[in-house]
Amino acid sequence: MNLLNTLIAGVSIGAIYSLIAFALILVWRSTRVVNFAQAGQAAFSTYVGLTIEKAVGNYWLALIGAILAGVIVGAFVEVVVVRFIVKRATSAATATVAPVIAMLGLLGIFQGVMGLIWGGEYQPYPTAFAREGMSIAGNQIPFSQFDLFVLLTVVVAMSISAVIFQRTSLGLSMRAAAFAPEVTRLSGIRVSRIRTLGWAFAGGAGGLAGVLVAPTTFIAPNSFDLLLVFGFTAAVIGGLDSLIGGVLGGLALGIGLSVVTGYLGGSYTFMTAFVLLIVILLVRPQGILGARGARRA
Amino acid sequence: MHVVHKPSTGKRITLALFIALILFVASNFVDEYRIFQGAQVAAYLVGIISIVLLTGFSGQITLGQGAFMAVGAYSAAIVVQEFALPIWLTFFIAVIAAALFGAIIGISAGRLSGPYLAGATLAFAVGIPALANAIPILGGEQGLSFDIGFAPGKYADTVSPYKWLFWICALCAIIAVVIAVNLTSSGMGREWRAVRAHETAAALSGINPARSKVLAFTVSSGFAGLAGVSFSATVGLVSPSGFTLSLSFLLLTGAILGGISHISGALGGAFIIVIIPTIFEAWTEEASLGVATYLPGIIVSALLLLSIALAPEGPSEALHKLRHRGHRKP
Amino acid sequence: MIRALKNRVRVGAALVALAGLVSSGVSAQAAAAPGVTKDTITLGMTSAQSGAASPGYNKVGPAMRAYFDYINEKGGVYGRKIVLKLEDDKYVPTNAVNKVNKLILRDKVFALVGNLGTATHTAALKKTPIIKQGVPDLFVNTGYSGFAAPKKYPTTFMYLPSYIMEAKIMAKYIKDKFPGKKVGILYQDDDFGKDGLAGFKAAGLTFVAGGTQKYASLSQATVGLTAQLTALKTSGAEVIILFGVTSATAVAMRTAAALGYGTTWGPQFILGSVGADPTTLLTLAGATTAEARAATLRSLTGALSLSFLPAATDTEDEYVKKFIEINTAYNKGVAWDNNVLVGMNQAMLVVQALRAAGQNPTRASLVSALKSKGGTFASAAYSKLDSANNVGFTGYWVGKYNSTGVIAPVDGGKPVVYTTDSSTANGDVATSTFVRPAMPADGVPTNS
Repeated sequence: MNLLNTLIAGVSIGAIYSLIAFALILVWRSTRVVNFAQAGQAAFSTYVGLTIEKAVGNYWLALIGAILAGVIVGAFVEVVVVRFIVKRATSAATATVAPVIAMLGLLGIFQGVMGLIWGGEYQPYPTAFAREGMSIAGNQIPFSQFDLFVLLTVVVAMSISAVIFQRTSLGLSMRAAAFAPEVTRLSGIRVSRIRTLGWAFAGGAGGLAGVLVAPTTFIAPNSFDLLLVFGFTAAVIGGLDSLIGGVLGGLALGIGLSVVTGYLGGSYTFMTAFVLLIVILLVRPQGILGARGARRA
Repeated sequence: MHVVHKPSTGKRITLALFIALILFVASNFVDEYRIFQGAQVAAYLVGIISIVLLTGFSGQITLGQGAFMAVGAYSAAIVVQEFALPIWLTFFIAVIAAALFGAIIGISAGRLSGPYLAGATLAFAVGIPALANAIPILGGEQGLSFDIGFAPGKYADTVSPYKWLFWICALCAIIAVVIAVNLTSSGMGREWRAVRAHETAAALSGINPARSKVLAFTVSSGFAGLAGVSFSATVGLVSPSGFTLSLSFLLLTGAILGGISHISGALGGAFIIVIIPTIFEAWTEEASLGVATYLPGIIVSALLLLSIALAPEGPSEALHKLRHRGHRKP
Repeated sequence: MIRALKNRVRVGAALVALAGLVSSGVSAQAAAAPGVTKDTITLGMTSAQSGAASPGYNKVGPAMRAYFDYINEKGGVYGRKIVLKLEDDKYVPTNAVNKVNKLILRDKVFALVGNLGTATHTAALKKTPIIKQGVPDLFVNTGYSGFAAPKKYPTTFMYLPSYIMEAKIMAKYIKDKFPGKKVGILYQDDDFGKDGLAGFKAAGLTFVAGGTQKYASLSQATVGLTAQLTALKTSGAEVIILFGVTSATAVAMRTAAALGYGTTWGPQFILGSVGADPTTLLTLAGATTAEARAATLRSLTGALSLSFLPAATDTEDEYVKKFIEINTAYNKGVAWDNNVLVGMNQAMLVVQALRAAGQNPTRASLVSALKSKGGTFASAAYSKLDSANNVGFTGYWVGKYNSTGVIAPVDGGKPVVYTTDSSTANGDVATSTFVRPAMPADGVPTNS
């Protein structure tokens, strides 16, 4: 029973890691940039949601507001910062590290601005669902209506994305732009616009992840840093190039960490992520579902 | 090949001694808070050097330097606590322990590059400090005491603890700078740069890239260990919350702002990350605690972004290039 | 080659610049009483204004400042206005060292007041010149008994009753009212929690197997407390003590609810005094909607807690009544709660200590005035301030939360205050006979 509880808890937090991994992979595929500012973008969007929630007291309106804020911020970051940086920084000897560092700078700006606007205090984020564990056959399990909502939302969001990517011409353009930007450009598709769209989409996913995780972790300017670490770990485990790999990576990481936390204690959680990452990278350098040879970025 | 005057190690040491003398004299004329900040600058300086070596010279990105600092600092604090070794010895132990750790991590992570390496070091940065809560000997969140004490003998009364602290940290920093400059102008430094510039070409010319990368990790971690023990000396304490992700990011920021390709840039970087918050504290009164807390971070981050966009190798390198261009004009 | 030479020159130039900058900070000799001018007295404080442990406690500093503003409006202390420099250490020891160094060395404050946190203040005492410069370190906002050590920390005075006292009183109550029940505890894994454990041990309270759980400071927001609460549930503990900061209590209660507390699982929760402010707990539970509020109240209802001040909701109390007035007028719309009460009361003690230090206060006169007269100061607390021994207040009453989140004496009527000391040699807990001094007229102390 205890193991089952641990697994269930792992799946619901793993779903959120999957969302973040999804956002990071989307951006990586389109721009070859690991968006470390995603933690800041997600927190910013969540604060927007919280502000709406406080003003009108409607959870759903706040959720939509946070996703929209994520979309807008994502597009803004791509258009205003990323284009400029990527263009300028790729010629230098530090080309491989420059985008990473630029994104860290952006993260710092986001966190500072959030601190100025909303303060550094840990604030709670409300839920529309009960947090009490549900009962199954008279046994209370640590899986609440809220956890169910998180899981279902992630599944729905992923399904919608899958349909968009696999079944629409927009999705086709996005995939094409990611793997062969020159060819795509030649075939008359505005690659830069597609790229912005990818960032916007990722931003929205980040906003959603923020609203889903905030009731559990509270919200503060830097409270999503760890979420980013785990989301990124999940993305790398999955292979960085594969959206499905990232989702699976997120679930695997969520379950793995939950088992370690449950049986060994919370202090080992973070080291486990590192060990898991290293072991997977050494055993299978391209990640669970990554393309071979993608490792050398 | 030009025949140019190459400064010998001996001359570098002479220069270092001269600088040490200046710092020693200066430390007698300033207010204690400045001395304390001077010690912080010295500790950050060593930390930034460790990043310059790894990222600037060997081309391997690290987001987890704070973790290696933690390894060094904890090793030092443990040997003091468990074996009551003299403090000066602990600085060496910190360096060796962190370097060993760096070798182990380098063997596994050195095969990775770009975002994969960034991810691995990131996970490492949050993993290591958290372990302190799992292992009782490490003292949990409250950490271990690490006190460098007072100046020896009859100087204990006349030399303030801050001066003593500053002297030790500055001495560590000067030694670190001399060693780093020597290393990077040696064959090893050239190997690192060759591997960074073109791995295959380096391999063809007889360099073992994998070995070179692991070595860079090892050396860099040794410096980080020294930084960690200096940093702990300034606060008298080794605790997980002293080695957060923000510390790793801050050091990387300092390294970039100072100029990632030169050891000398590290000093500029260390200054920026200590001084900018101080400047803001000076003119934001306590009524606006929020502004004083967040504005420095925004400014430093914006500088980082600008410097990546405008001078990707750091301001010192940009100036260097500018000057170089001037020379070439007929 | 050339580059190496340039490198050398650059390193040299930069190090000389370091020396230059260091020497630019040359300052004048400190005055006889730092931080005191003709018109002002500057005090310093560092606390958790942000970060995972900040909820609730970040209201204490601003509340103190509000009270000082009120006093300044009424003429200050012998004509001097009180200036409070408030710093944010995020409950992180390393930060506390930096902030206290800044307050003493750069801001040159006259005294430190209300510094919050056990691990943070331990670090500050070790690595800042509090002791060396004899900086008065008044009303440290922690109950760590180790701070009441006049020989080791001659200028440090506590505010809260010690955690050992709290644990001894709690243990007596549990043994009296829940005889034979299995007891479990969740404590913060640092000197704060360990001090409490020492008290429970001294009082002979034993915990059920598997019922001694700890959490790492600040980890409550990142890794949560599910493992600990699950273990407590499995241990079969019928009485569970939550001995941590407010944000940890909030996470623990939430986790308990997820594990069935209130429906299928019904242990008696007892909250340590530092983690029990109902307003903060409600806020942290995200109780912005009526349903969420009701759910939080459900889990809080019936929980016991210890308190040394009157309940913040006791508006009949003369102190509470006046402090609420001051809060409304001077604290920029901050909602009234226990933390504001703590801060206001602390500030009122500071004002009395400054007055007692005389017309021309020095650091030494402040310390000796507090030692000799602290026990007579007016304060909202129901127990005596034992400043003579650098100890804080010395008693607690036991209260129970009702279904609206209001705490009232557990047996109804007036609070029964228990008093004890920080000795671990004996567990003597007595009913207090302390008579509280009356609130000074208009809330403005006139002592000398």
